Amino acid sequence: MINSLFPGEQPVVQVSNLTIYRGEYTAVESVSFQLSSGTNTAIVGPNGAGKSTLIQAILGLIEHQAGEMQIFGHQIKNLGKLWQSIGYIPQKLPFDRSFPLSVVELVGLGYHHQRRFLGFGKYAKRKRQAVEYALEQVNLQNRVHQPIGVLSGGELKRVLLAYCLVVPRRLLVLDEAMAGVDATGEAEFADLLAKLQQEQAWTILQVSHDLDMVSCYCDRVICMNRRLLCQGVPSIALSTENINRIYGSTLTRYFHQHECSRFFRNGVGKSI
Amino acid sequence: MNVPDFSGTVWVSLFSLPFMQRAVAGGVLLGILGGILGSFVILRRLSLFGNALGHAAFLGVVMAALLELPPTASLIGFIVASGLAVVYLIDRTDLGSDTILSIVVAGSVALGTIGFSFLKGYRGNLLSALFGDILAISSTDLILLTLLLVITVAGLIWTFPEQVLLTLNEDLARVQGIPVQRYRYLFIVLLSGTIALTIRAVGILLVNAFLVIPAATAKLLCHQFVPFLAMAACIGALSGAIGMVVSGSLDLPSGPSIVLVQLVGFLGSACFRRQHS
Repeated sequence: MINSLFPGEQPVVQVSNLTIYRGEYTAVESVSFQLSSGTNTAIVGPNGAGKSTLIQAILGLIEHQAGEMQIFGHQIKNLGKLWQSIGYIPQKLPFDRSFPLSVVELVGLGYHHQRRFLGFGKYAKRKRQAVEYALEQVNLQNRVHQPIGVLSGGELKRVLLAYCLVVPRRLLVLDEAMAGVDATGEAEFADLLAKLQQEQAWTILQVSHDLDMVSCYCDRVICMNRRLLCQGVPSIALSTENINRIYGSTLTRYFHQHECSRFFRNGVGKSI
Repeated sequence: MNVPDFSGTVWVSLFSLPFMQRAVAGGVLLGILGGILGSFVILRRLSLFGNALGHAAFLGVVMAALLELPPTASLIGFIVASGLAVVYLIDRTDLGSDTILSIVVAGSVALGTIGFSFLKGYRGNLLSALFGDILAISSTDLILLTLLLVITVAGLIWTFPEQVLLTLNEDLARVQGIPVQRYRYLFIVLLSGTIALTIRAVGILLVNAFLVIPAATAKLLCHQFVPFLAMAACIGALSGAIGMVVSGSLDLPSGPSIVLVQLVGFLGSACFRRQHS
């Protein structure tokens, strides 16, 4: 078990003995872990290891066959208004490229549960301010009225991040946020995410393929291949020995050129 | 000598007739409703849904005639029930909606035709079901249409961001705690009601045009959601009005005239967009 950073504090996410079947196939088998407030946890493992399945089950998007999950100390079906504190960025956002929706409209959708009938003018003003602030944070002020269909993969991820930023969230779940994003976009996104995590005090759970990124940015790692293989801080969880165990000894680990980020070089860094 | 009258007095006298006024109002109301609901229909990839329910309506009309039920009420009931059944089938199987909708079309036509062979005597009401008659639209139909429009617009204003979010991506909507299933089924009820009333006016064969063409035209022209929705409603309303004028002045069948105007608008927009892209 991951030790809580703040003993006695309730974990943000608690998963115990979660088992998920996909047809005959056991996609996730008896996985348990918990996330403490303010941590950035990555789930790593080979293709088909059940990482996305695990994340989708935690959010109640697919059914699970055994085990229990709690978010903010509540079962999923009792989350009610607490859903608003969860931001989710899916692996792909499958939509038709010609879907008539502008950047500002998509970000505004994140604001949907705010009381919109307290007086229309007041609501519209608050919403506009929140959307402007969110787009500023992700550096997309100049794309406000663009249709989402013309954005690059990296820009679309940043728009979704702005969608998460438009109201205060406590938990952010990212399912391979970097899928379909080039290396530069990936580094920029990771930097931005780290900076925002600190400012917003988010707890992050992400699926990742990039072990170097994970070593740089995450403070907890969960390694799985259908079953849980190891968990802990990256330096230990991602030791060569463990990596061989997770991916098989045939894996050659390529080190990317990107170092641990401008953000960290600037000395802002994470304070754990 | 009989000189064609271009002074407009024929129009004035034609459009001063109550049935013509009701038909124009009906065309405009159907156009607005079709445009608004159709916007969601095409984005949710339900374009074949109107077509399938249109064919189900054929079965509904035959059954109502066989069982001697009141036509309007039984048609609305039958179509709403079919709509819900179709969505249920789509959810319960993993065959894909196009497959289910094709099965519904085939099943309805087969059963409807068999039922039709048992019908004796006057079959005129079936012809009017196939082609509709907007000129026969009654005050009750207009009241029902207005009611449906008010419910649709109010429901849309109340749940607008949720509707857009779940149209864009159901998973995103679920993670916001939006009751996706409830909203989907309510949408289908509204849509089925609209389809039933549209069938009374323009018939089974053309009902889908009202849902698909104005929204598709608007999608060619607009890249933001609110303008898209407004544009679809306006195109629906305008083609309803212009179509009735065309039909009245050239003495063409009314429903098809409206669809013709929609079609011209669509082709015009497609050419306009081609030039600009």
